[in-house]
Amino acid sequence: MFDRDVWQEIFNTIKTNKLRTFLTGFSVGWAIFILVMLLASVNGMQNGFLGQFNDDATNTIFIRPGTTSKAYGGFEAGRRIQLKNEDLEYVKQSFADDIEYLSARYYANVTARYKSETGSYNVQATHPDHQAIEKTLIMSGRYFNEADLINKAKVVVIGRKVAEDLFKKEDPLGKFVELNNLSFRVIGVFTDDGDDNAERGIYAPVSTYQRIYGNTNNINVIALTYNPTYDLAKALEFSGKLEDVMKRRHKIDPEDQAGLYVWNYAEAFDNISSFTAVLRGIGIGVGFLILVAGIVGIGNIMVFTIKERTKEIGVRKALGARPRQIINLVLLESIFITTLSGFIGLVFAWVILAAVGPMFQTPAFSNPSVNASTVITATIILIVAGVLAGLIPAMKAANVKPIVALSDK
Amino acid sequence: MIEIKDLHKSYKMGSNSLHVLKGINFKVEEGELVAIMGSSGSGKSTLLNILGMLDGADSGEYTLDGVPIKNLSETKAAQYRNKFLGFIFQSFNLINYKSALENVALPLYYQKVPRKERQEKAMQYLEKVGLKPWAHHLPSELSGGQKQRVAIARAMAAEPKVLLADEPTGALDSKTSYEVMDLIQQINDEGNTILVVTHEEDIAHMCKRIVHLKDGVIVEDKKIEQVRAAQYV
Repeated sequence: MFDRDVWQEIFNTIKTNKLRTFLTGFSVGWAIFILVMLLASVNGMQNGFLGQFNDDATNTIFIRPGTTSKAYGGFEAGRRIQLKNEDLEYVKQSFADDIEYLSARYYANVTARYKSETGSYNVQATHPDHQAIEKTLIMSGRYFNEADLINKAKVVVIGRKVAEDLFKKEDPLGKFVELNNLSFRVIGVFTDDGDDNAERGIYAPVSTYQRIYGNTNNINVIALTYNPTYDLAKALEFSGKLEDVMKRRHKIDPEDQAGLYVWNYAEAFDNISSFTAVLRGIGIGVGFLILVAGIVGIGNIMVFTIKERTKEIGVRKALGARPRQIINLVLLESIFITTLSGFIGLVFAWVILAAVGPMFQTPAFSNPSVNASTVITATIILIVAGVLAGLIPAMKAANVKPIVALSDK
Repeated sequence: MIEIKDLHKSYKMGSNSLHVLKGINFKVEEGELVAIMGSSGSGKSTLLNILGMLDGADSGEYTLDGVPIKNLSETKAAQYRNKFLGFIFQSFNLINYKSALENVALPLYYQKVPRKERQEKAMQYLEKVGLKPWAHHLPSELSGGQKQRVAIARAMAAEPKVLLADEPTGALDSKTSYEVMDLIQQINDEGNTILVVTHEEDIAHMCKRIVHLKDGVIVEDKKIEQVRAAQYV
C-alpha cells in the first residue's frame, strides 16, 4: 500500500489527466464543504441554546404538583395534588446524599405599602437554601436564616425595584413594610443579573407565610439542587428516581404526565442534545446525498480511465500482476482522489468558518465551528466514498483479460 | 520443456463454432529456438495464447517444465506467467510513463523483489541489451529497435523458463529486425528456450526449427540450418 511504485502510478494518472481529475475532485470537495458547513451550523445552534441556560444554576430540579389525568390506586382522574411540608421532609430524608440545597416555595400575591406608596407584588416564601438555588444576589442587608424560619419571623428580602418603588430615596433596611396590612421588617435587598422582573419580587420565610395563611402546611413547589459532581446520566437517573418516589407517595399513575412535574435542567440539556443530534444526523444525511453525486462522478471517470488503460493492465497481467494487485491500485487511486479533494473542501470550509464564525453571536446561533468529531466524520465518509467510487472500476480492471496485450492492431 | 498433446480449441462465433486448433502435438526441448509460422487464421496466435496461459484449451494436455497447466485460477495463472514465461510483443507494450529501467523492473516488482535489488537486476539486463545509457529515458524517447530491446530485457528480467515472442520484428524495419534477431540468437546461445511467432521467412530462418501451421494443424516441423543475423547487422 505504501509502495513507491503504486504512488508513482497514481500520480501519473492524475498528472496526465489534470483537468479531468480536478473536475471530478471538485464535486467531492464541494460536497464535503457543504457537509462541514452544515455540521458547523448545528454546532453553532447548540452553542447558542446552551449559552441561554448558563446564567441559571445548572443543577436545579423543580417539583410542581398538577392535576392527575389518569385514575390510579382507587382515585379517579382529575385529582389535584397538593405538596406539603411533609413531602419536603420526605425528600430530604430519602435523598440526603443526592441533594445539595433544598427549599419549598409558597406563592402569594400581596399589596405592599410603605408610607403613602403602594404596589402589588409576588411573594415567594421559601427556606434559606433558596438563596443558593436561585443564586439570589444580596445588595445590602442579609437573606433570612434558620433562626428566622424557626421563629416564623416577619421579615422580608425585597427586590431592588420594590425598594425603588416603595422607599424612593430612603434606605429600606430595618424599615417596616405592610404586606396585606401585616407589618414586615426589611432585612435585605437583592438584585438579579439582567432580569428586571425578578427584582420585582419579595422573599419571606416559608413558615411565616404558612402561619399567616391559616396555619397551613401546604407548599406550591419544591426546589432543589443536586450534588454538583453528578454528570448528565447520573442527574437524569436521580430526577427519574425522584419522580417515581413522589408519584408513588401521592398515588399517581407512573405514566401520568399531568399529575406531577419534575423539571430538570439536565433533562432540558439532554433534550437540546438530542435535538441537535437529530439536526446533525440530517446534516450528515444531506451532505452524504450530495456526496453521492461526487462518488458517481469519480466512479464514472475511473471506469473511463480503466478503459483507456485496458492494454496496460493486460500487459501487467501478462507480466504476472495478480487481480488483487490491480484492484488495490484502482481502489487506492480512487480513495486518494476523494480524500485529497475532500480535505481541500474541508480546509476551505474551516478557513471560512474561522474568518466568519466569530461574527455570529446571536442567542440562537453562536460561534459555528469545526471540531475534531466533524473532521473524523468527514474522513470516514471520504474513505467510504472512495471505496464505493472505485469498486466498480476496480472490478472491471481485474476482469481485463491479459490476452488484450497480445491483440495488437 | 514444453509438451503439448492433442490440443483442441474452438471459439464460439454466434451460433457457429470455429474450430481453430484441431489436435496439435508438439514438443520443445530446453535451449531450442523455434519459429511458429503460418498465415493469419492458421491458429498460430491461438497456440501462443494457450502456451502463454492467456487462454485455456478445450481439450488436450499442456505441460510446462513438468508442471501440468490446467484449470488455473487467475491468481495462479498470474503466478505461473511470472515464474515461467517472458513475453515479447509486436508493439513492445512498454508502460509509457515508466522509464526503461522501471519497465524492466516491473516483472520483478510482481515477484515482490525489494526495490533496490530489482533496480540492480534490471540495470544488468539493460546493459545486456546495450541500453544502459538509456536506462532513465521514457519509451517515447527511444527508437523502435531500442523499445523492443527494452521489452526483451523486461521479458528476461524475471528469468523465465521460456520466452514467447509474438511477431517481435513486425513493427520494425529490416535492419532493426536483424539487430533484434541477433539479440534473440545471443540469448538463445546462452541456453534459453525461445518461441517466435512470425510470418516472415527470413526471420523464421534465423531460428533453429520451423513449425508450420495451417488450418489448425501442424503441416511441417523441421530442423533447419540457422542463419546468423549478425552478418546483416
